Amino acid sequence: MEEQKEISFRIYRYNPHFDKKPYYDNIRITLEKGITVLRALNFIKENIDSKLTFRAFCQAGICGSCGLKINGVSKLACMTQVFKELEDSKEENVILIEPLNNFTIMRDLVVDMDPLVEKLKYYYSWVNPKMPVHELGKKEYLISEEKFQEYDQATDCILCASCVSECLMMEVNPNYISPAVLLKSYRMNVDERDSMQKTRLKKVTSDGGVWDCTHCYKCVEHCVKNIDIMKGIQGLRNSGMKTVSKRSEGAKHAKAFITDIKRKGRLVEFTLITRTLGFIKPIFMLPMMIKMLLRRRVPPPSFMMSEIPRIEKVRKIFRKLKKKNF
Amino acid sequence: MKQYDIVIVGGGGAGLYAAMEILNTDISLNIAVISKIYPNRSHTSAAQGGANAALANKDKTDTIEKHIFDTIKGSDYLADQDAASILCEEAPRVIRELENLGTPFSRMDDGTIAQRPFGGASSPRCCYCADKTGHTILQTLYEQCLRLGVKFYNEYFLISIEENDGVCQGITALNIQSGEIEIFPAKIVILATGGYAKAYWNRSSNAAGNTGDGIAAALRAGVPLKDMEFVQFHPTGLRKSGLLVTEGARGEGGYLINKNGDRFMSNYAPEKMELGPRDLVSRSIETEINEGRGFDSTAGQYINLDLTHLGAELITKRLPQIRELSISFEGIDPIDEPIPIRPTAHYSMGGIDTDKTGRTIMKGLYAIGECACVSVHGANRLGGNSLLEILVFGKIAGHEAALEAKSLNSVSISNSIIDKHKKYFRSLMQPSQYERYGVIREEMGTTLAENVGIYRTEKNLIQAIYDIKKLIERFKRVKVNDTSTVFNTNLVNVLELRNMLNIALAISAGAYARKESRGSHSRTDYTKRDDVNFHKHTMFTLSDGNLDVSYKPVIMGKYELEERTY
Repeated sequence: MEEQKEISFRIYRYNPHFDKKPYYDNIRITLEKGITVLRALNFIKENIDSKLTFRAFCQAGICGSCGLKINGVSKLACMTQVFKELEDSKEENVILIEPLNNFTIMRDLVVDMDPLVEKLKYYYSWVNPKMPVHELGKKEYLISEEKFQEYDQATDCILCASCVSECLMMEVNPNYISPAVLLKSYRMNVDERDSMQKTRLKKVTSDGGVWDCTHCYKCVEHCVKNIDIMKGIQGLRNSGMKTVSKRSEGAKHAKAFITDIKRKGRLVEFTLITRTLGFIKPIFMLPMMIKMLLRRRVPPPSFMMSEIPRIEKVRKIFRKLKKKNF
Repeated sequence: MKQYDIVIVGGGGAGLYAAMEILNTDISLNIAVISKIYPNRSHTSAAQGGANAALANKDKTDTIEKHIFDTIKGSDYLADQDAASILCEEAPRVIRELENLGTPFSRMDDGTIAQRPFGGASSPRCCYCADKTGHTILQTLYEQCLRLGVKFYNEYFLISIEENDGVCQGITALNIQSGEIEIFPAKIVILATGGYAKAYWNRSSNAAGNTGDGIAAALRAGVPLKDMEFVQFHPTGLRKSGLLVTEGARGEGGYLINKNGDRFMSNYAPEKMELGPRDLVSRSIETEINEGRGFDSTAGQYINLDLTHLGAELITKRLPQIRELSISFEGIDPIDEPIPIRPTAHYSMGGIDTDKTGRTIMKGLYAIGECACVSVHGANRLGGNSLLEILVFGKIAGHEAALEAKSLNSVSISNSIIDKHKKYFRSLMQPSQYERYGVIREEMGTTLAENVGIYRTEKNLIQAIYDIKKLIERFKRVKVNDTSTVFNTNLVNVLELRNMLNIALAISAGAYARKESRGSHSRTDYTKRDDVNFHKHTMFTLSDGNLDVSYKPVIMGKYELEERTY
């Protein structure tokens, strides 16, 4: 007989028709080693509570339906072993099951995925074929291994939305493009079969786009397919700087950073806002600035900031980068 | 009431290809895709291997003609030869079209699409994207449909096909998110709802939703099904989940071991051992288990697939996916322990009877992909031909439907149908209902696996038909506990079970009536292929609630019947 354990599943429940607010159910079941969280949920639905509502389909980690928060972390229920998960449980033999963050909850563990689809559409997440329709299917493009490698990994994405759920920027701004759609945009933009790189890049580099990413790396950390999403984000920023958006706020912000590091070895936050946004927009931020002033949270101006010790070393790095055409 | 020119039910590879082709043919057509899940979740994504096309990139001597012959021979001569020819002739065009639209096919050194050898193929002609071919094809098609502005109704469950005097009027569907029943009048309906191998429930590699919804709805609407008894089994499914361990594991040198520690394949295929053809290996494993040489566990009997002798380095380098699956789904690391496996149902050759354009006998109703039986796979499908089928016939049916739609009269569906369905749903929620759907579903899977599995014999098939008829009776008292309208998956699961029960009966009845062994259908009481009596398609129709079985000739061409040896 295989090892067995009695385990409590503490599951987030909410039916908008009946419940004023969400609550947690505790369901205890005995499971043997080797059972996935999805199998446990299926067991509960079939034998204990048929009202428990969640999405699941392929059960093999490729369709992306069963994204959930398990013990607070976004992942696929079908790829998560119950016994392994117990090692991370805060309470002994208790597993916490909740819906993904940053989405509207429709019922229990089911969230509304439509906003993600809308973003895919808004940011042109497709190859816009160079060929006219009547030419399609006649001959292959020849694609070098090098070009192929640029987008191959990005096409692993199954849109499970674990990255969207973990993204800190999404929490602040629900209209933010999201890591998944950034990855798609990058994947399309490096594909030589596509004909709308510039248009896409313009959109991606405007408000709520690629410049809003805060580099928290949570998307990379939690990608169930281990995709280096940040490589895509950096790639988009690089092309943005080079082509469409030299004058965009994001690009100016990045440039200001670089200038400061070169000059002082650290950030001069006092003038960062005006260098990024100009002089008009910050007027609307005056109340916040006054508040900051009163609380003595205003950073010192440039002339009061000295260079960091051994600034020469930093500048040396810049010289090296310049040599390499960065 | 809003009326569509074309409604496509199902958002997998076939449905999406059809949608794309329709709008590429005539952008003015008013179309919609209705899918019970978000289309990018469809089971097309699970196909790993690839799609066959005689591009001759890898082997310059490969031809379309060779592909056609391989397909017909692989089908054990049950495929319709005109349809098989179209499949192979159109293959290069659809693969190149997908390539032009961004599918990340793996490449040869010269930059052309890479091709690899596959079972039953006389040349390496399978085009692939590493081991994620289906996934990337599905993504490409979904992206293109978004680009073309296809109207999607996601999370809508097909309830019925409506007809008037043999002419299709559209469909009704349950909006899963709201609980409303909605009417979709359409001049043309294209069913692309996928296969039915999930009727074997936990003995299947399929997604939970491959429940044959379109097939069952077509049967209820009076459209005949074809060759339902042909279900392909894969030798190595994981014991608990039925998920696939690909042939690569044996290709790299894995052993199949029984309870006594023997490499039993030496008794069945002394030369090829574990690398014998798929149906033979499946039959051998089944025999070992039937004769008491399998391992016992709470999750059923199994055989070991032993990779431990291959060493950690080879396993982590060449079989990383297999290792990940074993750890995730069985809690077993194949570096340290053998993998428990048993054969698993994974593809359904049968389906809705169509001609080579995807048309059914009902005017305005088409069927494509795994839910259809054109038939190109006959009694046994070749690896790499299933992805190909959804692409080719998705394109053909899409094109045909686009040309036909304008010439058809307008249609209508009476609102009273909504009340009829509502009444039925409410009846399932009555306190007098008591049967548990999970129990019926489990028993259906068990009786199919035990009696209509790899080996079939009259006694077992009679048992299966008896069991399933009883389950259909019990289903009348099945209870839906969830009375909520919003996202009622309990109701959806019960409606899926209703569909699977219809299909389970057809599989069993077809297998009972076919007194021969052909392709995936192995009768221990009729071990030989019988071309005189059974070189024909089995046809299924519903009359007064009873399933009738009849036959229809196979369309032959230039290939005469031959014995199938490899």
